[in-house]
Amino acid sequence: MSPMQSAASTRSLAYAWALLACGVTALAATPLLEVVDPANIIVLFLLTVALVARFWGSGPALAAALASVALFDFFFVPPRFTFAVADAQYLLSFAVMLVVALIIGQLMARLREEAESAARREAQTRALYEMARELSAALTASQVAEIVSRFLAGYLRVAASLYLPDQNDHLTRVAPESGVGHDHGPAAIPHVTAVFESGAAMSLAAEESGYAPALALPLVSPVRCRGVLLAAAPSAEAVFAEEQRPLLEAVASLVAIAVERLHYVDVAQQATLNMESERLRSALLSAVSHDLRTPLTVLVGLADSLALARPPLPVALSETATALRDQALRLSGLVHNLLDMARFQVGKARLKKEWQPLEEVVGAALKDLGARLESCPIRIDLAADLPPLEFDAVLMERVLCNLLENAVKYAPQGPIAIEARQAGEWVAVSVLDEGPGLPQGVEESLFELFERGRHEGTATGVGLGLAICRAIVEAHGGTIRGENRPEGGARFTFTLPVGEPPAMEMEEEKAQGDD
Amino acid sequence: MTNAAAPLILLVEDEPQIRRFVRAALEEEGCRVVEAATAKGALEAMSANPSLLVLDLGLPDRDGVDLIRELRGWSAVPILVLSARAAEDQKVEALDAGADDYLSKPFGVGELRARVRALLRRQSAAGGEAVVEFGDVRVDHVHRTVTRGGEAVHLTPIEYRLLCLLLASTGKVLTHRQLLREVWGPGHGERSHYLRIYIGHLRQKLEADPARPCHLLTETGVGYRFQR
Repeated sequence: MSPMQSAASTRSLAYAWALLACGVTALAATPLLEVVDPANIIVLFLLTVALVARFWGSGPALAAALASVALFDFFFVPPRFTFAVADAQYLLSFAVMLVVALIIGQLMARLREEAESAARREAQTRALYEMARELSAALTASQVAEIVSRFLAGYLRVAASLYLPDQNDHLTRVAPESGVGHDHGPAAIPHVTAVFESGAAMSLAAEESGYAPALALPLVSPVRCRGVLLAAAPSAEAVFAEEQRPLLEAVASLVAIAVERLHYVDVAQQATLNMESERLRSALLSAVSHDLRTPLTVLVGLADSLALARPPLPVALSETATALRDQALRLSGLVHNLLDMARFQVGKARLKKEWQPLEEVVGAALKDLGARLESCPIRIDLAADLPPLEFDAVLMERVLCNLLENAVKYAPQGPIAIEARQAGEWVAVSVLDEGPGLPQGVEESLFELFERGRHEGTATGVGLGLAICRAIVEAHGGTIRGENRPEGGARFTFTLPVGEPPAMEMEEEKAQGDD
Repeated sequence: MTNAAAPLILLVEDEPQIRRFVRAALEEEGCRVVEAATAKGALEAMSANPSLLVLDLGLPDRDGVDLIRELRGWSAVPILVLSARAAEDQKVEALDAGADDYLSKPFGVGELRARVRALLRRQSAAGGEAVVEFGDVRVDHVHRTVTRGGEAVHLTPIEYRLLCLLLASTGKVLTHRQLLREVWGPGHGERSHYLRIYIGHLRQKLEADPARPCHLLTETGVGYRFQR
């Protein structure tokens, strides 16, 4: 039996019950006529109409009201068993009875409808809540598809399909875990893609969805559209009920939240994985660097011993020994850089920030580089009114050493300049050279790991130094950039925040010897 | 080279190849060398009464800083520490525990010999020179005057005290904490920015190029050293 036929038969049955109820009332009231006034019988009929309205709705109540008036007239108003009325005042009774019966019937019927719709809403809410609960426990997209198709099939007799984007943002249908549900095939893909891209719901005809009239709803989350839910009517002939749309939209928003949650679970897992592999790599790096140190110390020491041997070695041998030592020292510098970078990448580098003048660390860096800067004139131009800055002296010395080494590597004849100026909340420190400058378009990538400005091999060293500079400067809340100077050569500038230097109580100026 | 007058140096290092070239360098300097590979061996060798201890902080059997603390309980022998380059905290700890100087690995033989010479000289010189001269600066402890190129230089009391302290430990690294304690008194360990500012003032007043000092040297992350 089709739903429509069944609804019609239920309705005629209700009318039959209504009429039967009136008949029963008439029969039951007949014996009472001897003890009560006919006018009171009216009350019994009104009760019947109210009950009919309560159980079968407004249509049957109307029928019952009319039947009640007819039965009352026929059985209880003299002359009895005719529709004739002897006393004209009964006409007023009929009219009032009819009106009251109609009003009661309507009121009761509306009450009944409201109670029914409240119950329906409550059931709907409970079902939605159940689905939301299940969705919150879902671990995969196919579980989400399974839950939503089960809910819609059971509750609205709607066939649901879930479409989610792959890595290339192409929508594909997610098969529910148990394999139920209907695959609309490729026909629906262009339409759901349009919904996905526009973010607006769309009604599809049967031939568009490839199955039955359907509604395509975007899964809109706070961040972006996460996919499309396609809800199709049970069959090609069935009409898609528009009043189901609010519920479907509620379902779509629940599914959107579930899909977004799955997305972030994925992102978090990926991040954990990346972090783990990064940590492993850094641990390995630091272990390797550590083990390299001892042989490097030996190498530097032995080569140096040879170079300084008494009596002196022949010149050629002595030069070899010196070259050996220099290379070993350079290697040691690289290992040191590697170790630093490993510490930074693992996040283990703790900053020992202290307030101090920049001048001091500039002097220390120049002293540290010592012989390597011998052939190169250096101009130091630090603004006289520079405030003390808060930084880790050891790390800042590394930044300056790396920048100076870099300058001397690409512009060995110099001159090199170190400048520092305050500009508002920042102090900018620059290292300038008059070398060949930076190749166009590499200013940013210079600071990436293992990136080098030039490809020809006259100057050695991986781009680790600049990557470390960036890591250190950024850890201090500053920025670093490289650029070409209009007058030729490169300029590397890093900034440090001025912050709030601690208050200093300086002693009063008085001559020594007074204390 | 092995005569009895030559200073005796105790070399404590667990890596034989490092011992080998350090020993060669020290003998080149005219010293006698006793070797030990462990802290235990070092304590036993102390009975030979060495004039200087060259100590690697990374010993297999004991923390090097710990060993320095124990030695300082009963010996004033100068201690030169060998330590990894990035380990500033360890150096500061060793110096605060009583070590006199440090060398970062890898180090050159020339540097090693210069440090050893300086420490041996410090030991033989009783110190307390009344007049110290470096560059064009002359410090007269008796009259408490400082001149530079013949002209009087005005120093505040704290600056003067700081300068005297550094001069008295010529060639030796003084940690921030040691300097703060001596000049400002105990309880000022957190005021290292004062120390840095005052050192800056001294450089302005006494160094030819304050940004590239030749005498008042920075040991980054560790402290300061005066060098003539």
